[in-house]
This record gives sequence, structure tokens and C-alpha cells, in this order.
Amino acid sequence: MKTLARIFIIVAVMALVMGVTYAAVSASGSSGLPGAEPRFEEGGRPPFREGRFEGERPEGFEGGGWMFGLIKNVGVITVLVTLIVLPKNVRRKRKRAAVAG
Amino acid sequence: MSELQSSSSKNLTRVKLAVDLTIFFAFLIAMDPRSSGIAVHEWLATAALAALIVHLLLSWDWIVQISRRFMGRVNLQTRINYILNWLLFIDGSVMMLSGFMISEAVFPSLGIELPRNFAWRSLHDMTANLFLLLLGLHTALHWGWVVDTFKRYVFKPLGGLIFSRKRKDVAA
Repeated sequence: MKTLARIFIIVAVMALVMGVTYAAVSASGSSGLPGAEPRFEEGGRPPFREGRFEGERPEGFEGGGWMFGLIKNVGVITVLVTLIVLPKNVRRKRKRAAVAG
Repeated sequence: MSELQSSSSKNLTRVKLAVDLTIFFAFLIAMDPRSSGIAVHEWLATAALAALIVHLLLSWDWIVQISRRFMGRVNLQTRINYILNWLLFIDGSVMMLSGFMISEAVFPSLGIELPRNFAWRSLHDMTANLFLLLLGLHTALHWGWVVDTFKRYVFKPLGGLIFSRKRKDVAA
């Protein structure tokens, strides 16, 4: 029962966020966010096939291979983790050394 | 009693690690629809919603505790962590909604046609990029926990298994 109540709270908050977003996008009444240009005519969006919109990219555009996106995402997370964790560890080690010394 | 509590806490940590790893790798695969294909991208992201709810349920005590104490005495890292988690939740919800609105696999397969609005496409791309950044920060802030838990529940038992086999081989 407790777990069900918690799930209900999580879903309710999520629905609230989604509702506000939906209202905001609908109220804006635009076909795109500021600065974003509509790429296709209304109702004329080509189907998304084999990982890309037909005709959107020239052949060979994704020359990096299918793993490129995955490696890029892992790379972004690795850089962020390194940038935050490394200085933190260095600071901690210095603190320990200062206390020991 | 305390032994029981310790065992249940160990199990909870193990479940947490498994759920978090599942969400992390599912997100990495779902984040690249060009590799996985649009159907995998959409179904995996929809399933991740359930995993996300489990992740929040497992951290429920922490969420309630910090929500109560947020205006009071909480250290800076916990405060940043709490705000970051809310941003992650809000961004994830918007990303999910915009994904549903431009769905080409999940909703059409259920016979649901949603009105087309290209704002959703831009919003989906934007929130997905932001989500990647926030996920990186979230991982970085929990790196200590990740390393400790891996050491305790993955590397140590594995090491024990390998060394006990070696010892048995030597004894034989």
C-alpha cells in the first residue's frame, strides 16, 4: 500500500510536469521553438527509416559507423565524471596529507 | 535483528546497483536511435520509465529526508545533488512527453495518432542533450558510491571466487 502510494505520487508529479509542458507548447501555437525552423510541411514528414529520415542525410554522412553515437555519449559522461571526481580526489588527498603532516 | 537489517540493507544496495546499471545502459542505447533503430529507441525509453520509478522508490527515504531538511542544515553537495535530481526528473519527464508526441513506433502500434507539432521534435532533441549532461553530473556526484558498491558487491566476491578456485587447485 505504501509503495503504491509512492508510485502514485511519482506518477502524479510526472503528469504535472508533462501537463505544464503540454499546455506551454500548445499555448505557444508555433510550429517550432524560438529559433527552430520547421523542417517538413505539416503532415508531410517523411517516415524515419533505418535510423534516419529519408532524404535527410546524404549517403555516407554517418561514416563514423553505428557505434559513433554510443561512444560519443559515453565520452561526454566520462569527461564530466573525470572533471568532477579528479579534482575532488586530489583535494581529499592533499587534506589527508596535511592532517598527517 | 541488526543482522537482519544489515542483510536487507545489503540486498537493497545490490538491487539499487542492478537497477541503476540497467537504467544507465538502457539510456546509452536509447540515446542513439541511429544505431538502435527507432522502435528499440521508443520501447526501451518507455520501459525505462518503469525502471526510473523503481529507482525513485529505492531512494525514497533519502528524497523525503532531504525534502524536509532542504531549507535547514544540509551540506552543499547534498543540496546540489537534490536540485540536480529534480532537474533530471523534470527534464526526463519533458523528454518522455516530447518523445511520445513524435512517436513513430509505440503510439502508432497502439493505434494512437497524435497531432503533429514540430516544436516537440526540437524540444525532444534539446531535453535529450540536457539529460545527457545532467546524467553525467549525477553519475559524477555518485561516483564514490558507484566505486564502493562495485568493490563490495562485484569485485570482492569475484576475487574471492577466483582465489578460492586457485587455492582448491593448489590443494588438489
